[in-house]
Amino acid sequence: MDGLISFFASHHAIRAETVLKRNGLAARLIPGPKELSPNCGVALRFEYAQRENVVTILTSKSVRIDGIHFYRPRTDDWN
Amino acid sequence: MSIAAARLVESSRGVLAEFFNAEDPSRIVFTQNATHALNMALYGLLRPGDHVVTTSIEHNSVMRPLRHLEMSGVEVTVVSCKADGTMDMNRLNDALRPGTRLLVSTHASNVTGTLLRIEAISSLARDRDVPYLVDAAQTAGAIPIDVQQIGVDLMAFSGHKGLLGPTGTGGLYIRDGVMLPPLMRGGTGSDSAHEVQPDFLPDLHESGTLNVAGIAGLGAGVRFLREIGVESAREHERELVSQLIVGLSEIPGITIYGPRDAALQCGVVSFNVDGAMPSEVGLILDEQFGIMARTGLHCAPSAHRTLGTFPTGTVRFSFGWFNTTAEVDGALEALHKIARWAKSAAKDEVKTWMA
Repeated sequence: MDGLISFFASHHAIRAETVLKRNGLAARLIPGPKELSPNCGVALRFEYAQRENVVTILTSKSVRIDGIHFYRPRTDDWN
Repeated sequence: MSIAAARLVESSRGVLAEFFNAEDPSRIVFTQNATHALNMALYGLLRPGDHVVTTSIEHNSVMRPLRHLEMSGVEVTVVSCKADGTMDMNRLNDALRPGTRLLVSTHASNVTGTLLRIEAISSLARDRDVPYLVDAAQTAGAIPIDVQQIGVDLMAFSGHKGLLGPTGTGGLYIRDGVMLPPLMRGGTGSDSAHEVQPDFLPDLHESGTLNVAGIAGLGAGVRFLREIGVESAREHERELVSQLIVGLSEIPGITIYGPRDAALQCGVVSFNVDGAMPSEVGLILDEQFGIMARTGLHCAPSAHRTLGTFPTGTVRFSFGWFNTTAEVDGALEALHKIARWAKSAAKDEVKTWMA
């Protein structure tokens, strides 16, 4: 997964995970990287190519988003 | 049924009162959590024009209510702690004024575990005739506390940490003689013919249906602690902290914050790995090693400014009775690998940047 959504509160992050999974989209919660957003402790990884689709779905469910980022952290290359 | 529920609540209250050596069980009131208890004390005692003194290592559960009260005319003095979180008593003494309405401090930093000498602070407060409120969220159940011997006026505690209760439980100890107006008013199951809030404890502060199931669980946690002995719990955490500090000091590229002395801190240790963000370290610990840590600012921005770790934050380990020395060994082994990885990853970045 090469995309990341940051949120203002974990309330929205958890809801976003549920909504995206229910729509058959990949989503995984991770500790929020401070360099992208200082606002919330958790962020959601997703497929960046799906970003327009994701924004539409989340907006329709009134899930509030802080920001959307392209995100390929070096921790992916662990091992 | 309601009598059975009341018996459960009163049994937990009795066990807690004995555990902290309160004058009598009515001096313990139940709350949703430590934050709720701190809000009750701060909003109950402070009025516009009052002066309050606190420390720079407080959690937002104290800082945010105080900054809000400041907007309505309460004067707030924040006394700076040293970079390891310890308090210079002279500074605290200088901040108190005739007529200071309240002194509020944590018992231990939730970031570094640094213990404040609450006996000394309490005796200073008494000498200066200032009521003293302690935030014992980090220490209740982990370090022996005798409220009468220490001489605190109010003490907020959390149920789900050292006291081994469920989340959503906590309480406030109010010394006999301290007058605290309630934060909420409502039904108490007592004095039901009157439309005015009862003025006696614990009912004054316990309006609405209590979290009976949670409070029963909290009572069970404290009974378990009483069985093993809070001194044993303290000793166990001290051993784990000491083992972790010694092990971390041997890993090149790790910085430990706080006193770095198990005798001077509770079961909390904060550190950083050179070349890695706290969130990266936390993610690898979780996903690759199954080890849980908290990362970032830990709801205490002022404490991080004191330590010099704002705004990046730290990685924080915290221990309890059920953690083992084998788990600490495993964490140290994982951190050896992470520190090596961070070093080589940082080198790769420099290479990429230069190319």
